[in-house]
Amino acid sequence: MRAIKSWWLILAFVSGFAFAMVAEDLLVNLRGDRLQLSAPHVHFLGGGKPLALLHNAEAVPFDFQVTVFAGTQRHMFTRLTDEFVVSYGLWEEKFQVVKTQSPRKTIDHLSGPQAEQWCWDQMSQAMDLGGLGSAEPFWMHVEIRAQDAKDGSLFGRGNISESGISLGSLIEAFSKPARLQQSHWALDAGPYTLDELKRSRRGG
Amino acid sequence: MKRLWCLALVLAAPLAGCSTPDDDEKMAQELNVNSRYIIETVHVSGNTLAGNMSDPLRTDLDKVVGSKFDDSMLKNLAERIKSELRVSDVTVNVTRGTEPDHVIVNFEVRERSFDMVVGKFAYDSREGWTGDASANTTIQGNTFTVGLLSDGDSLIERYTGVKAKFERKNVGTKRLRVRFEFDDYHEQWNRATLDEASPNDIYRSRQVFTPEATVVLWQPLEWSFGVTFARLSVPGALPTGGASTIGFGAAKTESSNAVVNTLRYHQRWGSEHDEKEQEATASYVMTAASSVLGTDDVFTRHEAQARYRYRRAHSTVEIGFLAGILSGNAPLYERFVLGDATTLRGWSRFDLDPLGGSRVVHGSIDYRYRFIQAFYDTGAVWDRPEEREQKQSVGVGFKKQNFQLAVAFPLRAGRVDPIFYAGMNF
Repeated sequence: MRAIKSWWLILAFVSGFAFAMVAEDLLVNLRGDRLQLSAPHVHFLGGGKPLALLHNAEAVPFDFQVTVFAGTQRHMFTRLTDEFVVSYGLWEEKFQVVKTQSPRKTIDHLSGPQAEQWCWDQMSQAMDLGGLGSAEPFWMHVEIRAQDAKDGSLFGRGNISESGISLGSLIEAFSKPARLQQSHWALDAGPYTLDELKRSRRGG
Repeated sequence: MKRLWCLALVLAAPLAGCSTPDDDEKMAQELNVNSRYIIETVHVSGNTLAGNMSDPLRTDLDKVVGSKFDDSMLKNLAERIKSELRVSDVTVNVTRGTEPDHVIVNFEVRERSFDMVVGKFAYDSREGWTGDASANTTIQGNTFTVGLLSDGDSLIERYTGVKAKFERKNVGTKRLRVRFEFDDYHEQWNRATLDEASPNDIYRSRQVFTPEATVVLWQPLEWSFGVTFARLSVPGALPTGGASTIGFGAAKTESSNAVVNTLRYHQRWGSEHDEKEQEATASYVMTAASSVLGTDDVFTRHEAQARYRYRRAHSTVEIGFLAGILSGNAPLYERFVLGDATTLRGWSRFDLDPLGGSRVVHGSIDYRYRFIQAFYDTGAVWDRPEEREQKQSVGVGFKKQNFQLAVAFPLRAGRVDPIFYAGMNF
């Protein structure tokens, strides 16, 4: 019985450590009066299906959603969404990013990490935490989702002429990795307070 | 029918937008940094059928060379190749060209050598299930298909059985293809039909052999011509007649052999990747059974159908039209039916005409926003002019890709019994 308990303790420690590592993926700092988000270990342009599409000269839209919870982890304080369309120049071997929501912005000749950071910067600039108490705890939840190119429909496209479920298509579809695994990232950070972030900025 | 056109105009109004296709294209090009590159060459690889592409499609592929890279245009071309070659998948691969700022585009065509397809699967709360599944294999351009089906929707009778088909899409030239099909069906009849039909019109089983050739006159117009040889097993009836006596006498076999000519048109503009998409299909079928073919039933049947679909963003309007005329003495499966899952939805065909009719006119309009749909059907099926009566129905439901769930109501005085439809490809 004692051996089992010790295993549970080790497991709890390891899982807690793993959680802390994941939580560290999203970094929150204060720059001036604004929050600065970054995730140096998260590379949504670093591999997988989105990168394969980009290397095939396709433009891939990424949806960003940042949610701030204040007071408790269930009380949503504000939510911010935006779309960034990324493409990769086959000859320059550099990325172009277009922020499609107003104000629309375009930047190009970026490396992968630079393009990722530009997206984070745009989200950070648009975030307004006015009204948040300086000692009030808050949490951040960020979701990034790549809009995969349409793979073709399993069940026809609702056209006049096309019809039928192909068993071959079904097998191919179910053989692919899960969509979330391919192109979806969810990051959490917190709790923080603005006071704490100001102190750490001065200390840093 | 005037009402149908008025409704079409009203529903089409939201589809008219302010932005031009040029604006959409310009915006799409701004989003992709590769749109500054020039397309150096275009290849189609991976399938022996690539040589079967039509001249207009080849011309459009050639036109791409030298133009600026446009991802959506290439996807449209991939869709056209897929549709024309009838293959399972066409992918677009783009690589650097041999000259700076040029790219090479390769359309990779893939075809499954073996596949199983569920062609139609539907439930009608009054008539029950209809299903159609087949397996096919393609060996060196020859496609063999074997299928099972039970259809209680499209004809007066429910027919259940097997079908076997051989098809070759290229017979010496890409403009000619041939098909041989054999069907063996067992029939089940509704009581209303048995009560109205002559015992000699009711057959217990049906075997049909159809050799047919199709010529592409010029894309997208095709002409098919062939012969159907049908053998009908008619149970004998006692001299007193009446439906209840069917099957007690000696069975006999009847032939219904006919020449079939079909003109078919199918054109599509844009694809699912575009903001706007249009599709039109039309067909005219002339079936003539003459004594020269050794047939027991001599008749002539003309049927014209057309459908047009227009999608802009999430709004889709689809308009359908059907007209037909039958003269002579035809077997019941050749008679026109309304009140199925695509025509006069909400009506039971047995309430309209349990024997089907020799004249038919029908129009329908469907409007869909995202997956929510509403439809209106109107039409008439009759034998004698005094029997002609225009019927109407409306319905609402959900449609996602080819899956559909709908409830339809006949527009008539008195009690209204809705019919529920669910399934795909109906």
